[in-house]
Amino acid sequence: MTAPTQLAPGAALTAASGAAPPPRRPAAGWRRRERIIASLAVAPALLLVLAFMAYPVGYALWISLHRSNGVRYEWLGLGNYIDLLGDPLLHQVFVTNLLFLVAVPLVIFTAVICAVLLHERIRGWKFFRVLFFVPNVLSTAVVGLMFKTLFSYRGPINAAIVATGGQPIDFFSQAGTSIFVIVMALVWSGFGYQTLILLSGLSSINPEMLEAATMDGAGWWKRLWYITLPSIRGVLALVTILNVLYTFTSLFGFIFVMTAGGPGYDTTTLDYLIYTLAFSSSNLGQGAALAVLVFLLIGGLTLVQLKVFRLSDGEES
Amino acid sequence: MSETSSTLSKRSRTPIFLALCLVAVSIAFPVVFIGSSAFRSKADYLLNPFGLPESLTLENFVALWNNYGIGRALGNSLTVIAVALTLQLLIAGLAGFAMAKLPVPGVKYIRAGFVLVMLVPGQVLIIPTYLLLSNLGLVGSLQGLMLVYIATGMPFAVFFLSVTFRTLDANVLEAARIDGAGFWRTFLSVAVPMGIPGIATLAVLQFLAMWNELLFAYILLPNDQLRLLTPALAQIGGRFTSDQTLVSAGLIISSLPPLILLALASRYVMSGLGASLGR
Repeated sequence: MTAPTQLAPGAALTAASGAAPPPRRPAAGWRRRERIIASLAVAPALLLVLAFMAYPVGYALWISLHRSNGVRYEWLGLGNYIDLLGDPLLHQVFVTNLLFLVAVPLVIFTAVICAVLLHERIRGWKFFRVLFFVPNVLSTAVVGLMFKTLFSYRGPINAAIVATGGQPIDFFSQAGTSIFVIVMALVWSGFGYQTLILLSGLSSINPEMLEAATMDGAGWWKRLWYITLPSIRGVLALVTILNVLYTFTSLFGFIFVMTAGGPGYDTTTLDYLIYTLAFSSSNLGQGAALAVLVFLLIGGLTLVQLKVFRLSDGEES
Repeated sequence: MSETSSTLSKRSRTPIFLALCLVAVSIAFPVVFIGSSAFRSKADYLLNPFGLPESLTLENFVALWNNYGIGRALGNSLTVIAVALTLQLLIAGLAGFAMAKLPVPGVKYIRAGFVLVMLVPGQVLIIPTYLLLSNLGLVGSLQGLMLVYIATGMPFAVFFLSVTFRTLDANVLEAARIDGAGFWRTFLSVAVPMGIPGIATLAVLQFLAMWNELLFAYILLPNDQLRLLTPALAQIGGRFTSDQTLVSAGLIISSLPPLILLALASRYVMSGLGASLGR
C-alpha cells in the first residue's frame, strides 16, 4: 500500500532529468508543478508541528540548563539536573509514582477477563463492550471528581460502610487510602479501552486451532491457558507498555482534582511535580529539567520493555 | 446469535453473563449515582446520600449557570473547539491527502518526524509552550489555546487522514485530473466526500480530546472570564468539595456531550480509538 507514494519522488526525478519518460506519465513541467502543490499542501501542518511541538522540545532542553523565572536566564549547565537528582522530595515522588504501578496489573487482569468473556459472544456482548467503554470518553477531571464524590467523607461509600456497622473513613487524609482511591479511578477509567485492544487481538486467533484442541479433548481452561493467552502475547505486551507509560505521564488530571498532591506530598506524582515546579516556584528551569528526565525515563522504559517482551517472544517477529 | 462461538457449554454461559453484568453495574453505578445526585437538593442528599431522592430539583444547574459562570465556560469551550477542530481538519486533510496521493518531497522524513513528535509527552511541552505563547502575547486569549490544540493534535490527525486517503481509488483521482479538475477541486469534491467516514471518526476523536483536555486549558487561560468548561469544573470541584450536588451537576454537564457522542457514534469512536493505538 505504501509503495506508490514512496516511489513517486523517484519517478518524478527520472522524468525531470529527461531520461526516457515512461508512458502515460505527465510532462516534466506538470510533474514539478504537482510537487510544488504537494509541498504547499503539507506546509501548514508541518509549520505548526515544527513551531508548537518540535521547537518547544528544544526550548525545554535549553530552559532546563538555566535558572529562570521566565524572563531572565542564568546559565547553570547541568545544575538543575544535579539538584533534582539529589533532592529527597524527588526520590519520595518517584517512589509514590512506583506505587501507582499497582494499577497496571489490576487494569490488565480485569481487561483480560472481560475480553476473554466478551469474546465468547455472551448475550448482549456488544452492549457490554460499549458500556465498558463509557469511562474512556470522560475527562480524567470528571472521573477524578466522580471518585472524589463517591469516596468523600459523607459520600455513598462511607454511607455503605456505616450502614454495615463500620466507622466512616476519611479517605483523602492519608497517603495509603488516597492512593487506593486514585488507583480505583485509574482501573475504572482504563480497563475498557484495554479490553477493546485485547478483543481485537483475540479475534485474530485462528478458530480452527481452538476447534482442533477441543477435538483433542482440551477443556475451556486448558485452551485458554495454552492457546488463547499465548496467541495474544504481543497484544498483552503492548497493553502493558501503554499502561506503564500512562502511569508516568497521565495522572495529572486525577491528582489535580482529587488531592492536589496532598496530604503533604504524599500523592504527588512526577507529572504533577512538573506542574508544581513550573508554576509555583521561582525556577522554571527545574520544572523543565524534570520534564526532560521523565521523558528520558519513559523512553528508556519503553525500550527495556520492548526488549524484554521480544526476548520471551520466541516465534514472533 | 449466529456469531456465537461454540467453545463454551450452555450451562457455563449464565455465570459468565452474570459476571459481566456485575462489571457493568460497577461501571454504571458511579455515573447513575452522580446523575441522580445532580437533581437533588443538598439537604436531601446529606440526609441519605445512598437513597433515592425525595424530590427532584434543577437548583444545582441554575446555581451553576447563574453564580459560577458555567454558561460562559460552555460558550468558551464550544468556541475554542469549533474553530480549532475546523482548522485542524482542514490543515490535516490537505497534508494527509498530499502525503497519500501526491509526490511530496521528503515524505518519508515528514512521516517519521510526525510519528516521533507523537511520542513526546505533554509535560515536556507545557513550560516552553507557556513561555512561547506569552512572548507572542497569546496567554490568556482563546486564540492561543486554539493554536496549541490545532498543533498538538496535528501529527495524529495527519497520520490518520493519510491512512484514510491512501485507500482512495487512484483511477478516480486520475479521471478528475483528466477532466481538468485542479488540486482544490479534486480535494474538495472527490477526496473529501469519499473520505467522510474516516474524517467523521477523526472529528469525534479530536472533539473528545479537546473537550477533555485539562492542563493546557488551565494554564493558558488563567483568567476566570475565559475559563473552559473542564478546568472550570475542576476548580469548582476543588473549592466546593462539600457541595456534592453542585459538583455532580457540573459533572453531568461536562460528561453529557462525550456520552451522547458515544451513544450515537459508538462504532466510529471505538474503531477510531483502535486505530489510534500508536498515539
